[in-house]
Amino acid sequence: MKLQKLQVEQLRQFQQPLVLDNLQPGLNLIHGPNESGKSTLVRAIRAAFFERYRSKSVDDLSPWGDSGASPTIRLEFEHQGTPWRLTKSFLKRARCDLSIGTETYSGDQAEERVAELLGYEYSKKGSSKAEHWGIPGLLWVEQGTGQEVQKAIEHAGDHLQSALNALVGEVASSGGDAVIETLSAERNKLLTRTGQPTGDFKQLVEQRQELQQRKADLQERVSRYQDYVDRLQSVTREYQHDQQTRPWEAAQQQLTEARARLDKLEQLEQQQQQETQTLSHIDQQRKLTEQRLDDLRRIDQQKADRQAGLEKAEQSLRDAKARGPALAEQLRIARDDYETSQSRLKTARLLAERQRIGKEIERLTQRKALLAGNRDKARKHQGQVAEARQQARDNRIDAGAVQDLKKTEQALGHERIRSQAIATRLSWKLAPESGARLGDSGLSEQGEQQLLEASRLTIPGVGHFDITPGGEQLAETRRKLESLEQACADQLAQLAVTSVEEAEQRKLAYEKADQQRRHAEELLHSVAPAGVEALDAELSEVELELKNHHQRLQANPLPADADDGLSLSEAEAVNDRAESHLKTCEHQQRELEALTMSRQQARDNAFAEWQRLDQETGSQAHQQQLADLKQRLEALTGERDQARTNLEQRAREIQQAHPDILRQDIERYQITIDNLRNRQQGRDREIREIRARLDAWGAEGLEETLQEVAADCERCERRYRELSRRADALERLVSLLNEKRQALTRRLQAPLQRHLDHYVSLLFPQARLALDDQLQPDTFTRGSELGPVKDLSFGAREQMGLISRLAYADLLKEADRPTLVILDDTLVHSDQSRLDDMKRILFDAARRHQVLLFTCHPEKWQDLGVLPTDLEQLKSAPAPAS
Amino acid sequence: MPKFLHTADWQMGRTYSRFDMEDGAALVEARFEVIETLARLASDHQCDAVLVAGDVFDAQTVSDRTIRRVFNATASFSGPWVMLPGNHDAALVESVWSRAQRLDAVPGNVHLALEPGVITLDEQRLAVLCAPLTQRHTYDDLTGAFSDYETPEALVRVGLAHGSVQGLLSEDIDATNPIAQDRAQASRLDYLALGDWHGTKQVNERTWYSGTPEPERFRNNDAGQALIVTIDEPGSTPAVQAVTTARYQWHQWRETLSVDSDLDQLLERLQALPQASVLDLRLEGQVTLAGEERLNRALSEAEARFRSLLSDRSALKLTPTDEDIAALRADGYLGDVIEELREQQSGEDGELARDALAILASVLKGQTQEAAE
Repeated sequence: MKLQKLQVEQLRQFQQPLVLDNLQPGLNLIHGPNESGKSTLVRAIRAAFFERYRSKSVDDLSPWGDSGASPTIRLEFEHQGTPWRLTKSFLKRARCDLSIGTETYSGDQAEERVAELLGYEYSKKGSSKAEHWGIPGLLWVEQGTGQEVQKAIEHAGDHLQSALNALVGEVASSGGDAVIETLSAERNKLLTRTGQPTGDFKQLVEQRQELQQRKADLQERVSRYQDYVDRLQSVTREYQHDQQTRPWEAAQQQLTEARARLDKLEQLEQQQQQETQTLSHIDQQRKLTEQRLDDLRRIDQQKADRQAGLEKAEQSLRDAKARGPALAEQLRIARDDYETSQSRLKTARLLAERQRIGKEIERLTQRKALLAGNRDKARKHQGQVAEARQQARDNRIDAGAVQDLKKTEQALGHERIRSQAIATRLSWKLAPESGARLGDSGLSEQGEQQLLEASRLTIPGVGHFDITPGGEQLAETRRKLESLEQACADQLAQLAVTSVEEAEQRKLAYEKADQQRRHAEELLHSVAPAGVEALDAELSEVELELKNHHQRLQANPLPADADDGLSLSEAEAVNDRAESHLKTCEHQQRELEALTMSRQQARDNAFAEWQRLDQETGSQAHQQQLADLKQRLEALTGERDQARTNLEQRAREIQQAHPDILRQDIERYQITIDNLRNRQQGRDREIREIRARLDAWGAEGLEETLQEVAADCERCERRYRELSRRADALERLVSLLNEKRQALTRRLQAPLQRHLDHYVSLLFPQARLALDDQLQPDTFTRGSELGPVKDLSFGAREQMGLISRLAYADLLKEADRPTLVILDDTLVHSDQSRLDDMKRILFDAARRHQVLLFTCHPEKWQDLGVLPTDLEQLKSAPAPAS
Repeated sequence: MPKFLHTADWQMGRTYSRFDMEDGAALVEARFEVIETLARLASDHQCDAVLVAGDVFDAQTVSDRTIRRVFNATASFSGPWVMLPGNHDAALVESVWSRAQRLDAVPGNVHLALEPGVITLDEQRLAVLCAPLTQRHTYDDLTGAFSDYETPEALVRVGLAHGSVQGLLSEDIDATNPIAQDRAQASRLDYLALGDWHGTKQVNERTWYSGTPEPERFRNNDAGQALIVTIDEPGSTPAVQAVTTARYQWHQWRETLSVDSDLDQLLERLQALPQASVLDLRLEGQVTLAGEERLNRALSEAEARFRSLLSDRSALKLTPTDEDIAALRADGYLGDVIEELREQQSGEDGELARDALAILASVLKGQTQEAAE
């Protein structure tokens, strides 16, 4: 397929027709800056093919703001020598016309023809999308999508497949995939992805399990039923057998016999018991008899004992009595000694008393003399005190008042002196008897007077002079003087003296008398501290006492034996010793008496005892009793021996009868009977129980039910096997089909791989790009490097994408399919050296395919070896006539 | 001239697991009907008695309904019936018989031979010497006691027993419940009526297995009959007449298909079978896809016509011809798959391959038909 001419008008910025008509069969480089309409051309080609002419979703094709436009694209291309002309108008005047050689088509039919040729589909609704683009989607690379080859290959799937099939010359099975799909669906009804039963099959599996379980349960019950029947059979047989043979009766017989034997034995045992009792009775009697015999014999013994005791008591009594006389003599001597010492002690005491009284009289006499002396002195001092007191009374004056008087007189003296100093002095010498008078007082012939107050000097015949003393203090001094004079006079009066000197004298006299009094009083006190009266009393007492002592002395005359010479203390010591000795002797005397008495008592007792026993043993009854008892004891011993022999005989008999074993036998037989009866009853019960149970279970028709369930089970099993087989068969079939399909695909890969290798080797020597089952570039190998394509760098992926597309184009070409490669600004991520390699590849590919390369970087593609078409230049070219 | 009907092995209470529910139920029903048939036959032939030689019931615990229906079905013959417990319904201490008695289901004219001994039918001039099984299995010849049984000379001495005659039947048949081959002669029997073998079989002139009156297995020979025995007088040789009683005939076909004509023959034979047939068909060999289609159609028709049809084609290989494949339009790898499956049929998982091939063929056929429409 070779695109020869492209014309657009009323399409986006191409309001005016734009014609691209010098397109080459190989490589075409169309360049222009951004916004120059490069992409619009690409869009126009795509729209012309992919979009339905009737589509309402192609508004983007309209020139901006021109809703009335009809975007129109005209394409002319040649395929296998036949020229194709396609004209498509959208929106306002929507139509599609196609001429193939001489044939013409229009509308949908035209579109279908084109789609069939190129291998794509139309969108059923809305604008065409990638999944509709088919082979052109793979070969026409939009800007920036060069690396995403996988989706494009998927979308091209069927078309590629048919192309490949045609190429390899094999039938890829026209309906193969549909068959796989159908069978997979069938398989999936039965099995899950992992091969487990699902849906009906799963239900069946569950039902099968359930039925098997039920069957097993029933089988178990049937088996139990049969076990019960068997059990019933055996128990019934046993029961009937025992009912006939009645084994418990035999046991009963044995029991009865054993009981009879036991009865006999028990009689023996009873006898034995009685005999044992008898024996013990005899033993008891024997014991008593022996005891009594012993008692009797013991009395004789006692008598002998008592005899010895009596003799001993008598001896001790005698010993005690023998000590009596010596002790009496000792006592008498002690008493005499004591009496002598008593008398001597009395005399000593009398003498001592007389001595003491004598001494007291001497003392009292001295005392009396002292006291009489003191009394006389005291009376003299008493008189002195009274005299001094009289003196003091006579001269009594107040010492303070005297002092005051002296002061007053002193002050008066002072004041007089002062007044004379300031007073008006009047001195005079007068003819005798002048009769002059000063004031009321006549004046002597000569004199001098100090005037302190106005005074009148009268001189008879002459008249009188009034003299008035001057000076300011004169009046005050005169008043003070007067007051003092008055005070002095008062005090003198008070003291009843005429002068100060007299007062002084009286004061001295008083003080002297007082002193004398005190001295006399001290002397008095020294001789009679308690007063003279007390002294008198004491004296009279002493005199009385003295008189008394003289009387007492007279009352105690001097004893006759006073010349003994023993002092009182010595006499007392002698007396004490004598008294003590006497007491000892008296004590010994009393003890001996007590001892004698008690021994006498003991001897009397012993005698009485002995006498009693002597009488008793000596009696005839005693002797008779002794003889009787001896006889009885012998008889009893005989009886005892007989009883013992009997008992031994009985024990042997009992021993031989084995009483324990016999009792065990009875117990055993009893238990046996019980067991036998119980077992028979148990059987009867068990038979009834089993019968009841069997009756109940039998009503269920167990085995018939089991058969039915088993039948269900088998049907289910059959169905399960069928489904299982079908599932297996489907599984096998699907896997086999897929296997075959993949094998085929692998065969189809070969040519594609060849083309791919061709390009890859141009880009990377020794490298290889492997394809997967879906014919997708899968792993990239270079030397030892190996990895999925998707892990390569963006640039490398873009290069691989383009290589893959070109390889597909080669494949399609081989299959006689139209190939047109359109690249919109591709390989922008390739570095210079890689881009150079890619240019070689593109140039190589362009030898087989028409390639339209749109770019805004024409400088990058200068060395592509083609004449670039400048879009700008084309737009400015005059529009061709339509 | 006593005349009696000898039957055995009714196996009442048996169900049929190999068949569909509906078919199984019909076959069970047929077993009840055959008792009525026997009763009618006995009446029609003016028999004096009916002797049932064991296995009246298939199991001890069958439902009460089954028990009642069995005895009800005997109503048409009012003469004496003697029923003998066999190994399936042994007279155990608790058995289907004791149950029947408790249910009061046993009519007065039915004698249950629950204990060894002689049942004397004076009026019918028959002394029936019974050897019932009182255990499930025994290794003693229970008929040995017959020799000791004294019977009135005027009566015909008929033994009634259930077990396998020694040395007659193949070794794999139950070795239990043995019966001496010369029992009739040894115990001075005029006739020994036996049960246990489901086909009619004569042991000697006086000893017969009657077989089951209604077949319940495919592998019985001469099943589905009863014997009418006539003995003129004690010591006479019995006249034995086999009468068909079965409602359904059971067939088991093992066919090998190799060429188309084999298939034609098979289809003809199918066509010839009566409706009251139970057929077990197992096919081997090979068939083309077209042949299999014919076979499918024929079997589908037969299934509708017969009482029951069991078919096993797992060993029948499918050999699609080129025409088959062309008809299926199995192009490309589908063809490869068909070819491979065809080859695999002879291999280890042949059945699986066969199934897979059949499924693939049917899918392809469906698709071609769709395409044709």
